[in-house]
Parts: sequence; C-alpha cells; structure tokens
Amino acid sequence: MSSRIQNRQRRDFIRGSLTMIPAITLGSGVTLTAQAAEQAPALSDYSPLFFNDDEWAFILAACDRLIPSQGNGPGALEAHVPVFIDRQLDGDYGHATDWYMEGPFVAGSPDLGFQYPYTPREVYQRGIALTQRWCQQTHGASFDALDAQTRDQVLSDLEKGNIDFAAMDEEWLPAADFFSGLLQNTHEGYFADPIYGGNRHMGPWKMVGFPGARGSFRDWVDQHDVEYPLGPVSLSGERG
Amino acid sequence: MNRKEMMAVLAGIGTLMMATTSSAADNDETIERGAYLARAGDCVACHTAPDGEDFAGGLGIESPFGTIYSTNITPDKKTGIGDWSEEEFAAALRDGKRADGANLYPAMPYPSYARVSDEDIHALYVYFMKGVEPVQHQPEETSLSFPFNQRWGISAWNWLFAGGEVFEPKADRSEQINRGAYLVEGLGHCGSCHTPRGIFQQEKALDDSGDDYLSGADLNDWLAPSLRGKGDGPHGMVTWSEDDIVEYLATGRNERNVVSGEMTDVIENSTSHMSEEDLRAIAVYLKSLPANESSNADVAQTGEEDNTRAHLDAAKDLSSAERLYLDNCSACHFNDGMGAPRVFPALDGNSLANADNPTGLIHTILAGAEMPSTEKMPSKLVMPGFAWRLSDEEVADLATFVRQGWSNQGGKVTADEVSRVRDELHERSFSTAPASVIDGEEFKKRSGDGNGTRPEHNQ
Repeated sequence: MSSRIQNRQRRDFIRGSLTMIPAITLGSGVTLTAQAAEQAPALSDYSPLFFNDDEWAFILAACDRLIPSQGNGPGALEAHVPVFIDRQLDGDYGHATDWYMEGPFVAGSPDLGFQYPYTPREVYQRGIALTQRWCQQTHGASFDALDAQTRDQVLSDLEKGNIDFAAMDEEWLPAADFFSGLLQNTHEGYFADPIYGGNRHMGPWKMVGFPGARGSFRDWVDQHDVEYPLGPVSLSGERG
Repeated sequence: MNRKEMMAVLAGIGTLMMATTSSAADNDETIERGAYLARAGDCVACHTAPDGEDFAGGLGIESPFGTIYSTNITPDKKTGIGDWSEEEFAAALRDGKRADGANLYPAMPYPSYARVSDEDIHALYVYFMKGVEPVQHQPEETSLSFPFNQRWGISAWNWLFAGGEVFEPKADRSEQINRGAYLVEGLGHCGSCHTPRGIFQQEKALDDSGDDYLSGADLNDWLAPSLRGKGDGPHGMVTWSEDDIVEYLATGRNERNVVSGEMTDVIENSTSHMSEEDLRAIAVYLKSLPANESSNADVAQTGEEDNTRAHLDAAKDLSSAERLYLDNCSACHFNDGMGAPRVFPALDGNSLANADNPTGLIHTILAGAEMPSTEKMPSKLVMPGFAWRLSDEEVADLATFVRQGWSNQGGKVTADEVSRVRDELHERSFSTAPASVIDGEEFKKRSGDGNGTRPEHNQ
C-alpha cells in the first residue's frame, strides 16, 4: 500500500509541474502540430480486429476500472488502451508467434513462468468467458453490466484467485494469470507509443512528463535546475 | 564413359590447353591490372542495368536530349564487343568511335578516357576479352529525337570539345601529382560530374589548365561540389586534409562529412577498390588545385552557429522549424549541427545544405540516405526517410532552418519545392512508415459481420 501512496504523490507532483507546460507553450507562440489538435476517432467507432462484441464489452468495462477516468491523467478508455490490446492480440504477440509453446507443462514454482498451452489470444478468450460465466452465476449479470464497485470486487477476486477457474472445468488457466496479463497489457497500452493504438495523444506521457521519442537529451545533462520545457513527441511525429 | 566420349573429353582438354598457351602473353597479371583499371574507370556503373549482369549494358542514362542506353561491353560476339580488335576498343574509349565507325554519344566519357595510356588501354582490353564472362544480352537501342539521333553531328562536337591527347606528365610536378592528375582527368573522369558544363553540354575544362576544372556543378539538381582543395576558407575541400580525401574515397566517410547522392555508388563500385597509393595521389593532386572564387563563395564564420545551438539547448521560444529539428534531427546531428565523425554528417557547413539548389537536401530529408559498404567500412549506416512523418510544409520549414542555422547561408525552401521532390521520389526509399501507423483503417466499420477475418475465434 505504501508504494501506492508514493505513486499518488508522484503523480500529483508531476501533474503539478506539468501544468506549467501549456502556459509556456502558449506564451511562446509555438503552434503545436495540427496532428495533435485532430481528434482521433472515438473509441465507440472502433471495430475490433480480434474481440467479439461480448469480449469487447468486457475489455472496455475492465480497463475502465483498472485505470479509471477520475484519476489525475486520462483513463484507460480515454487513452484507447482497449485498441492497443485488441491490436496486440491480432498480431504476433496474440498468436505467441515466436514463443516456445510445446510441453511439458509442469505445475510448481512460479519461477517456471506460465505452464499451459494457451496463446495470449486463448488466455483472453477463456479468461473472459469464465469470468462472464462466474458473474452470471454469482450476480445474475454479465461483468460489463455490473456497477463499478462490484466490478472492482470481481477484478480483485480474479487477482487473488478467489474465483476458481479450475472448479469451472478449466484445466490449465488460473484466474490470477488471466488478471495479471490483462493488467500488464493495460499498463502497456497506456504508456506504449501511440503508434500501437493506445496512449492517445500521449495523454499518459504528458501526465508523467515523459518526453517520448525525441531520443536526445545530451544537451540537458549540464543544465541544472532548469525545467525541461518540451512536451512529448511520438514515433509518428505527433507533438503534444 | 565409353571410348568415344573419352576421346571427346580429351579433345576438349587439348583445345583448352592450346587456348591457354596462346594467351600466355596476356597473363593473369594483365587481366588483374585491367580489372583494377575498370574499377578506376567505374565502367560497371553505367554498363550495368539495375539487377542486370555486370557490363551487359542497358542502363538508361538521362541526358538533356533524351535517354541514352548503355551498351553490352562483355566479350559476347553477337551482342557485346567480343569481335572488337584492340584498335577498335581504343578508338571507342578515346575517340568515341564505335567499331562500325559511328559516333558514340558523349554520355560515354571518352573526352576524359582520351588521356588513358596505351599500356592501360591494353590491360583493359585484355580484361574485357578474357577476364569478363560473355553475356548474351541486347540492351535497348538509344533512340533520341531529331536532331540528336544524327550521330554524325557529334563529329563537330568532338572536333570542338573532345580529342584530347594521351596524358603527358608535367615535368614541374612530382610523380605523385602526375599520377593523381592522370587518374582524375583520365579513367576517374571526375570532371564529368564536378566540372560545370557549357551551353553545348561540354565540360568547360578537361584538365587543370582551366580554372573551371572540377570547380563544382549542379548534377540533376544535386550538388557535385568543387574538388579544388588548395586555399583557405571555412568550408568545402579546402578544409579537407589529404588524409580526409583518402579516407572519404576509401570508405565514403571521414571526420567532416559522409557521402550522399550519386557519389555513394562511385565510392562503392570504384574508389573503395583503389590502392591507398593511388587514392593518396588523387588527394595530393586535388589539394594542388587552387580553389577559385566561385567555388569558394562559402560563408565566413559568423558566430551565428553559437546562437543556433544556444537557442536549441534552451528549447524555449522555439519556432516550429526549431521544434521539428529537435524532434526529428537533433538526436543524431546534435544541437551544434556537428553530428559525429564517420557516423552522422555535420550539417553546419555541409555542402549539400548550403548548395544553391536545395533539391539534394530535400531529397535526403524525405528519402533518407545510406552509406556505401566498403572493405574498410562495411556497415551501411542508414538515415531514415521522413517522407511518411513530415508534411511538405514541415519539410520546407525544417530544410530552411538547416540551410540557415549555425553558419549556413542557404536560401529559403518552399513547400512547393518539397512537393515537387516528393512527387519524383525514387521508389527505393530507405525507410517507410511502420506498418502499424494508425491510418484509421480499423476505425472504419467493416461491412458484414467481420467473422470472416477471425475464423479461429468461433470454434
């Protein structure tokens, strides 16, 4: 818990210092590139490449709770994290293209890593289907129809393994693995370059003050006590 | 194997042996020397089509009069020069005469090759007859429009502008300078690109008796800079040492710059194969040519280079062009515009950035660039192209900044100019947009239910 408090303090601090940037930018008369001002298409206009409608509804509802909109920065939905996850699952990552996927699968130490024959696509499909079934059985509604507090509880139960996939005839996949993958991919979609679909308009980067793909800070090494005045730039050249 | 076959094989070996004996005079050493001279003359550059066999011809060379196609110079008897005598070969190289007596178009640098010695012509002949595999390939015929299709008309041009003598060493110069002059004026035909041309497309000077010789030219909108290296000045060849020149010709990179444009292939195919001794002779010769007024119209240090750097370092009150530089260029070329030797060329004082014609710079920003791979420096370091990432306006802004930042004093670049270069971009660009750039495609609702694109999902 203490690390969470530190994180919040850091977030507040960074947010505080970052509010300086728009003021500087406006004052200096720099016109930000037109790209940054353009609105990306709304999330509701996105048609998923991998998820079906039911799964997509789950992903939206889950991401919305993992990084909610009410925080200091954009929420996962505003940052288009679900787009990132969908595109990753549609690509090499989702298909585990270059992973060793043969057995043997041995239960035991977590050091051994995941021990099942599922690609990330299959993990999501099975994990979502099982969670939806559990929600129907327990709450009489699908996950995305639950209120925020109940969704948080479900996610927490997944994380702690309180929801028992094995008891629902799932041979391999533990609920905690499904959750940790989802959480990790959500983080990645939040902070990965916008070229991969998430981190829309670099909102998350702006929140933490990450300068993006400029790749050159040599000239700042000996500028002490000077605030770094530049907003981020993405791989595609978008400036924020 | 039966007896009959055995006899045939033996007969074959006998013929081979006879062939070998008869060519004993033209030994491997001569062939090897001819191969080296063919490198020095960069014959392969023009006489090879893209993806074609070496020396089999067919490359289209753009000229102000139309496209001139290079010929097959392999020893194939039907489509190449296998039937040519050494005299006919020498006449083609030095006088621009085909074996049938017709004139060659002066895309062939015979006004330069006229300087090549008899001994070297012989070695080249032996190489092309015995060291090159015959390739049967009939390249496209050159057909220019009237009056340029009248090859006899070239005789007058030859009489006026060609017909130089075989190189004679000058007594008042060292042996080394004479060797350098022989290579530069002769097989190297450096003047073909680096000497300005007159109204008849003739090189204004074919040797160092003329001040225009190697004083720089605009080659298909790309600067071929002055090679005259003697004198003072902040930029250009006068700042290069002999070592710099040798290193550049051997590897395409040195302390000061990195090769770009047409010269990239010249280094890869020709100069990087030359001996250190010959390259040094070339360097000494170039450093002996006084830089003249026009070639040295370079700028004096203005102190402006420090201002540019300080402004970029502070990163406040940036113009959009400065911001573009920081976001796209400074990671490699740095805020002082000095890059890193042999890896990232310096932009401050860069000849291409300061050229009257900005096309070369615009092209480099849009398409990127690639260094040649040579024996001494095999790595093909690549600058990515920015065509996919920057608009015409942005490239114009950025190019103007590069041409006017630091101590550079180039002219302004307009979006129209960028647009023209973009339209003519070679398909071979050194980088393209990553496949995953969001183009909005997946945001367009697909027609149908979309199940067809994800078959494994509904199992």
